[in-house]
Amino acid sequence: MDFLLELLQGFATLARPDVLAYMVLGFIIGTFFGAVPGLTSVLAIALLLPITYSMDVVPALVMCAAIFMSGMYAGSITATTINIPGAPSSMMTAIEGYALMKKGEGANALGHAALGSMIGGSLGALLLMVLMPLAAKASLLIQTPGKFSLVLFALVVIVIVQRDAIAKGLIATMLGVMIATIGIDVMQPIPRFNFGTEMLVEGIDMMPIIIGTFAISEVLYQAHQNHGDLRISLSQAASATIRRRDFLPSFAQIREIGIITYLKSTLLGYGIGILPGVGGSMAAFVAYADAKRRSRRPDVYGNGSREGIAAAETANNSMCGGAFVPMLMFGIPGDPTTAIVLGVLVINGLQPGPRLLETQTDLIAPMFASLFVSALVLIPLTLFLLGPWFVRIVSIPKGLLYACIAVVALVGSYVATFSIFQMALALLFGILAFFLRQQNYPTVSLLLGFILGPDLEQYLRRSLSLSDGNPMVFLTSPDSLFFLALLAVFVYFMAIRRPKQAGIEGKTTV
Amino acid sequence: MVMREMRWRKRLLLPLFLLVLTTIYVVATFRITPQFSEGLVGPRFLPLLAALLTYAALVHVIRRELASDDESGKGAFWQPVAVVLATAAYIALFKPFGYSLATLLYVYALFHIFHYQQGRPLRRLLYAIAVTAVFYGLFALVFGIRLPTLLDII
Repeated sequence: MDFLLELLQGFATLARPDVLAYMVLGFIIGTFFGAVPGLTSVLAIALLLPITYSMDVVPALVMCAAIFMSGMYAGSITATTINIPGAPSSMMTAIEGYALMKKGEGANALGHAALGSMIGGSLGALLLMVLMPLAAKASLLIQTPGKFSLVLFALVVIVIVQRDAIAKGLIATMLGVMIATIGIDVMQPIPRFNFGTEMLVEGIDMMPIIIGTFAISEVLYQAHQNHGDLRISLSQAASATIRRRDFLPSFAQIREIGIITYLKSTLLGYGIGILPGVGGSMAAFVAYADAKRRSRRPDVYGNGSREGIAAAETANNSMCGGAFVPMLMFGIPGDPTTAIVLGVLVINGLQPGPRLLETQTDLIAPMFASLFVSALVLIPLTLFLLGPWFVRIVSIPKGLLYACIAVVALVGSYVATFSIFQMALALLFGILAFFLRQQNYPTVSLLLGFILGPDLEQYLRRSLSLSDGNPMVFLTSPDSLFFLALLAVFVYFMAIRRPKQAGIEGKTTV
Repeated sequence: MVMREMRWRKRLLLPLFLLVLTTIYVVATFRITPQFSEGLVGPRFLPLLAALLTYAALVHVIRRELASDDESGKGAFWQPVAVVLATAAYIALFKPFGYSLATLLYVYALFHIFHYQQGRPLRRLLYAIAVTAVFYGLFALVFGIRLPTLLDII
């Protein structure tokens, strides 16, 4: 009951003009970054991270949630209009949406994408709010050996989810773990890997890694891909003329898609969101494949299936709610965006865990409310207000865009700690991430390895010191045994008995 | 044939670099001196395990790269290098030149690298001034952050 009241209070906080303004601003930023091919909501939140040092925690979290939700939806805009997914999670939408666009039904496709995103996003946020207290209670039952097995489970899933690039996923994850070991040891007051430099004794901050991996590497990557003028051609933009009245999906079309498709895709997306490192593209793909498998008209898939758009967009937006569960309860991010939101929490002195929900719901509840309102109100509102100009919005010259990103990223990494060293580190990690990306190593795994590495080491060593070095503690502790069994099941189904559709997700990994 | 050989050699550079990096890391692991014994799983355990897994994965990747005909990784070479050099210079000059001048030069250099407003130096300069001013407004005026200045003026 208290939690419900706190949630309602969160909605009241969101109604404050300043907080509301941050949410709307976040939504617009997320829509822009989500819609522009090459930019993602992850990059938007990464650029926002240093600025959160100068902001209150509530507006910062509200803004992050709005960016997350809008970025996930906005990928469908260019996916539909010009067949270039704004975000990897919109790959499936591009297949069906662009086919409809070519038939002159692009506006209708955008309408279905928005409706699916709205339903999935708002239901995902509701599930998050309803299940959060239960998750908090369940997490209290998990003891140190169980926490170790849970983090191990998360790290293994992050690696095996790469499917056709498991070795590269492992390398990227271990690089993250190794970078995290720099600095003071987790159990003993001794420095490790500082190479005689005082600057490394305190370890490496999460921020230069985030800025380098997602912002600097993006600028380098775009410079690498630059073949003259990168502006989306105006002829393409002009041909994508869209009228507002065409956005509304008809009742007959919604009935044909069926409420079951929306609900099942929501649950699939939410469940996939809970898994660490999996993300929106997997959610969209699984829901799309499931909808196709049980569709009454599978022949339409590939030629403009509204059902396919609805399934994919519902799932990738409901993933947003699911991704917050492991991050808030265990500090295990469900996807790269929540990994950066975790950074915002840590910067503001908030530690993830069940106590966060007990003692600081007033700070977290507005973020939940922002997720819900962004999905339910802002997605359809944005489509209605900005829809006809979507393609023109994303036709901003890339030279101008990437110069702005570089300045925000570098000045941002300076202002966080007023340190030139942080700027240099951001550049260094940017170069590393650029080369990793260029050779299809998943850079997200590097960040997740960096976040989870210290937890893994700490829980492992604590468990062993509490059990006099007996490793059997991981098998005799029921919670630990549960996660190890779950790990074995995942390894069996995802790495040993590979599903037939393997490969698609690997190709879309950023 | 020669081109193909060059391509896989290029693809091997990153795994080989990571191999060297991991080896430096392993050497540093043996320099860790624990204050008290924790048995097998002490301050060296996870770093060594991570390095071991990285070695195994790198060997696998190198073997696959040698057998592969993949021609991915095409793109401009000098542009990312130019971005890195411009960024390194920006970082080095950020404090001595102050935010305004360093950022103006950096943005102008990036415009040049990305061919923005090519052949229109004046417009390019005006856009660079505008970008510098907008982000000065964001950081210094909106968020009240003190940015470095040149001779305490700009």
